Amino acid sequence: MNPRNAVLAIAALAVLALVALQADNYVLRLATMFGMYATLAMAWNIIGGFAGYPSFATAAFFGLGAYATGVAQTNGVPLLLAWGCAGLLAAGFAALLGSAILHLRGRYFAIASLVVADVLRELTNSWTDVTGGGMGMNLPLIGGSVVDDAYVYLAAMLILAAATFGTSLWLDRSKLGVALRCIAQNEDAAQIIGIDTRRAKTIALVLSSLFAGLAGGAYASWVTYIDPTDVYDGALSVKPILMALLGGVGTVSGPVLGALVYLGLEELLWRNLLDFHAGILGLLVVLLVLFLPGGLRQLRGRGLVGWLKGRFAR
Amino acid sequence: MKLLLGNLLMAIGLVGGLSVAQAQDVLKIGAPLPVTGALSPEGTKLKQGYELWQQQVNDAGGIKVGDKQLKVELRYYDYQSQTPRAVQLAEKLITDDKVDFLFSPFGSGAAKATSAVAEKYGVPMIASSASSAEVFNQGYQNLYGVYTDNSTFSEPLADVITSKIPDVKRVAILARNDLYPLSLANEFEKSAKKRGLEVVFFEKYAIGTLDHSSALTQLRATNPDWIVVTGYINDLITVRKQAAELRVTGKALTLINGPAYQEWINAVGPLAENVTTASWFHPVVKYQSEDVFGSSAKFVELFRAKYNGDPDFTQASGSAVGVVLQLAIERAGSTDRDAVRAELKKGGFKTFFGPISFAPSGIANSYVPPVLQLQGGKVQVIYPAEIATGEFKAGLAQ
Amino acid sequence: MLWLQVLVNGLAIGGLYACIAAGFSLVWGVLNVINILHGSMIVLGGYLAFFAHQQWGINPFLFAPVAGLVLFVFGYALQRLAINPVMSRPFLITLLLTFGLNLFLDNAMIALFSADFRKVILDPPLGVFELGGIILPVDRVYATLTGLVIVGALWIWLRSTQLGRAIIAVRMDRDAAALLGINVSGTYAIAFGLGAFMAGSAGALLSAIFPISPLASAGYLGKAFAICVLGGLGSIPGVVLGGFALGVIESYGALFLGPEHAVTVAFMLLIVLLMVRPSGLLGRRGFA
Repeated sequence: MNPRNAVLAIAALAVLALVALQADNYVLRLATMFGMYATLAMAWNIIGGFAGYPSFATAAFFGLGAYATGVAQTNGVPLLLAWGCAGLLAAGFAALLGSAILHLRGRYFAIASLVVADVLRELTNSWTDVTGGGMGMNLPLIGGSVVDDAYVYLAAMLILAAATFGTSLWLDRSKLGVALRCIAQNEDAAQIIGIDTRRAKTIALVLSSLFAGLAGGAYASWVTYIDPTDVYDGALSVKPILMALLGGVGTVSGPVLGALVYLGLEELLWRNLLDFHAGILGLLVVLLVLFLPGGLRQLRGRGLVGWLKGRFAR
Repeated sequence: MKLLLGNLLMAIGLVGGLSVAQAQDVLKIGAPLPVTGALSPEGTKLKQGYELWQQQVNDAGGIKVGDKQLKVELRYYDYQSQTPRAVQLAEKLITDDKVDFLFSPFGSGAAKATSAVAEKYGVPMIASSASSAEVFNQGYQNLYGVYTDNSTFSEPLADVITSKIPDVKRVAILARNDLYPLSLANEFEKSAKKRGLEVVFFEKYAIGTLDHSSALTQLRATNPDWIVVTGYINDLITVRKQAAELRVTGKALTLINGPAYQEWINAVGPLAENVTTASWFHPVVKYQSEDVFGSSAKFVELFRAKYNGDPDFTQASGSAVGVVLQLAIERAGSTDRDAVRAELKKGGFKTFFGPISFAPSGIANSYVPPVLQLQGGKVQVIYPAEIATGEFKAGLAQ
Repeated sequence: MLWLQVLVNGLAIGGLYACIAAGFSLVWGVLNVINILHGSMIVLGGYLAFFAHQQWGINPFLFAPVAGLVLFVFGYALQRLAINPVMSRPFLITLLLTFGLNLFLDNAMIALFSADFRKVILDPPLGVFELGGIILPVDRVYATLTGLVIVGALWIWLRSTQLGRAIIAVRMDRDAAALLGINVSGTYAIAFGLGAFMAGSAGALLSAIFPISPLASAGYLGKAFAICVLGGLGSIPGVVLGGFALGVIESYGALFLGPEHAVTVAFMLLIVLLMVRPSGLLGRRGFA
């Protein structure tokens, strides 16, 4: 871990918090969204980056957290406790899931994790008594003024992002982090040198799901309406991967930077192109993968112009 | 990296800043639209309705407020057919784009979710396409829907069918597991039971179901006289085709919503024959209005000239929310939200869409939507009698 | 009787499922690429058939190979231009690439064709087979048979021609194949083109049965996924088996638990299968 990156990432969070303090609701919304994206990207990075397990289950944990909060809140559980439920449920589910699918490797693990969100979505859809099914679920307003509420959720998301960041930082330096990196490099070899790979992988998946579930919980209270197609949306599994790749997979601050850049692109396109924002975003993803497969770190030291010169001067 | 960060923040800020400056003689209306995603066809239709109204108003000089005339400016954003995104958008439209009023996103579910935001900020929102009672049961003061309740479909249809086919006894209902279709199906169940009919089959199918053969096989086995299927256009195209293939027979088939759309008729061909449906608007309705269109006939004529086709109820509802808001503002003589809300509550708007007043809950309760049947590839109105263009026919095409 | 009809329904949709998934499975097995674009290519094939029928009255069942050929060219070119440069990178990268392409193609199709649902209407309609009260729609039989013929031809072709064997060799062991003098990247492009061919012809077959719209692409992709997991990665007989299995499971799921739970049942079984036999019903271990 490069300490400079850590300082930069923390600085970025601080700047955002400052910006938010004197901004209108729209900027608050963007900043809250950034907190959520950064959390999801870092959460994925724990299992997908450090441990090298290509998980597509982010949407599953996120949706589970969102519905746990939704059900808890509508039954009168206070906000913080409801979020706690979200985190615990997601983490508990991940622990079980891990024992079932973490012995799979590579593509098999990817597919298994991808199917999980589909199963949960269908279950949520058909369990109409508790979840409202396809009709979705309205969460109670927490009852502050409009602006106060916005700050509450902004603070919640940024604190969550900071907690995820702190966990990544700790993981990066801990023995567990080393174990995960060994697994990512060569799992068989890791086993041979005496690493308890099963335990390490499960912890990574649980940590990842904990933060994704908490993010889902905070999201549900924030938007006050959730439905299965939205919170179990496959895009929620793919976007964090994209962000992590953008910023640098397996690094501590990379996903934060990736989340910021991705959010900026998404918002700019969406605001300005009514009919074709998704298409252009897709095209940008293609170009990024083709020309910057190593993420934005490839640009470091030279800046975009320098990099372009280097690339086309050959 | 620092540079990049800075640039990005600046770029976002810049675009945000640009939209704030605006001329003052303009009425800004926020309209979240489903341009991409599952509701994309409906998004296109709504936009056509909005824009026809906008063009008419602006060509006539604008909305009269006291001695001023305000041009209409519509603010669209794509909510990608995702309800939470529509909720966030409503908030963005109010706080960032600073719109004066809102048109709702499409459909009952999204309208309900968004109405919480409209209520929070006290911005009146006119809903184009919400008809389920569940949308209007929250005691909100800022939600006004131009569609009448779902029971205004099930009741007249049940009347027509029981009176024209007296030996109808058994009813089968298949519903999409989604707010509006399910609510509608429940109304049909009530209307059927009220008339002493036996509901022999009531099942739901999941959103995104590709194949309906199993459900229809079970439905057929219950031997119904009257079959009601609720859902959206793609569901109902497949259902109609598979019902014919599986030789599902009965004396009457009601499908809602789909058959009132020309695309549905094109996609099922001869199987459309004798299917009954209902909609809140049809080009044959003959209302004289005090709005910018003058009458239903004039609206249809203008719509045909602009878009080369007859308006269906979704397209018409896009214009209807416009004229209702316009009439309320002109009566209030101000764009003050409280004054406009008071006029909306009073109601009594004579529009091309029908006479529109709202119940205390905010749902329209002032006109009778036409009951339709497809005959010879054309939509015929079979109820109410004043505007009927055809007689109900029993039986199903095979 | 009801049970038998439900079984027939399941088999009839199962044949279509096999068509939907065959190309996806081939690309997955040979190139190690999870092709998110597959559903969009099916829809594109459907549109080609729809317009061919509308303009020239061509029967979509006859048009299927033509739609397939158009998509083959599209897929071949796409692989050469965009996918080949990143073939050596981890599969996450190629997955993101096809994810981006999928966003673009879906949006482009909405812009070009609008998202309105359309369908080919055959005149006169093909009708149904009826045997002792059990009903089977003829269009589904044609689609399934055409689909199985195309899948079967592909299977035989892979085993009996030099190019086909090259594809199999590359799938088994890329490096060894390269040592044997097989042009690996050329083989990849052909295999991806074949995947696109299957998607295009499946789309044409489906255009007479289901409504077409760019909005349908995600649904087809989801089915392809489930079928490949059921049947086994990259195994062609596995796809056929997986398709029929999924059709029958959904059909009986709807009968026993109600139509709204049909898909849930299928996905639950999928998870169980992944836990106990991740390589699918007919897949072999070790291609991961």
